[in-house]
Amino acid sequence: MSLSVGSIAGDRALAIAQADAVRAYRDLSPFRIQLVLDHDGWHVDYELKDPRLKGGGPHYLIDPHTGAILSKRYEQ
Amino acid sequence: MQAPTAADLLNEPVVQQALEDAWKDSLPADPTQRHEEGGWVFVNPTTGKVLIRRAPAGAQTTLDLTVPPVVAGTVVVATFHTHPNPSAGGWDPGPSPADTQSAWLFGVPCLIRADDGVHTTGPALRRGGLSGGPGYPP
Repeated sequence: MSLSVGSIAGDRALAIAQADAVRAYRDLSPFRIQLVLDHDGWHVDYELKDPRLKGGGPHYLIDPHTGAILSKRYEQ
Repeated sequence: MQAPTAADLLNEPVVQQALEDAWKDSLPADPTQRHEEGGWVFVNPTTGKVLIRRAPAGAQTTLDLTVPPVVAGTVVVATFHTHPNPSAGGWDPGPSPADTQSAWLFGVPCLIRADDGVHTTGPALRRGGLSGGPGYPP
């Protein structure tokens, strides 16, 4: 998928995900963020910086036109 | 003596108690204080005795089990930890990809206590059996 007129930019998708993620997780410092525009929308994935840690972060799929969160998964 | 499997360990009363103690200490009913707890399961290869050691408390969704303590005459056969965030709130109670990845990295099964019961991930038993010295297997 490529961005077209009416599409939201990556920074907007990230802001939408971040607003939800900080409410659920409070501290997002253990995570790095991967932002990818794929055929089905913006994927925003919070992955642990240290692969040896036990745990998990939030994962989002965001509508590239409306900015709605289409799905989310809270790992722990 | 063979290394115990995750299923063997879940039948051990000392492991069951450790999972319940960690669960209680995770404060799952407290939305602002809930956090991960856990530790390591050790076995004495000569006697077969199972021992538990706890790690320092973790954060809301993370726990560091990277460096097990040295317990003389034993080896690590599993890790355990809690997932205290509620399924009803949309949280996945099962193992995260990072739980599975770290279990394979450490070479021992990962036991998880969540609000829907107990989950396991990673290898079925300690990599290489009970040899290899203290701590995680080489």
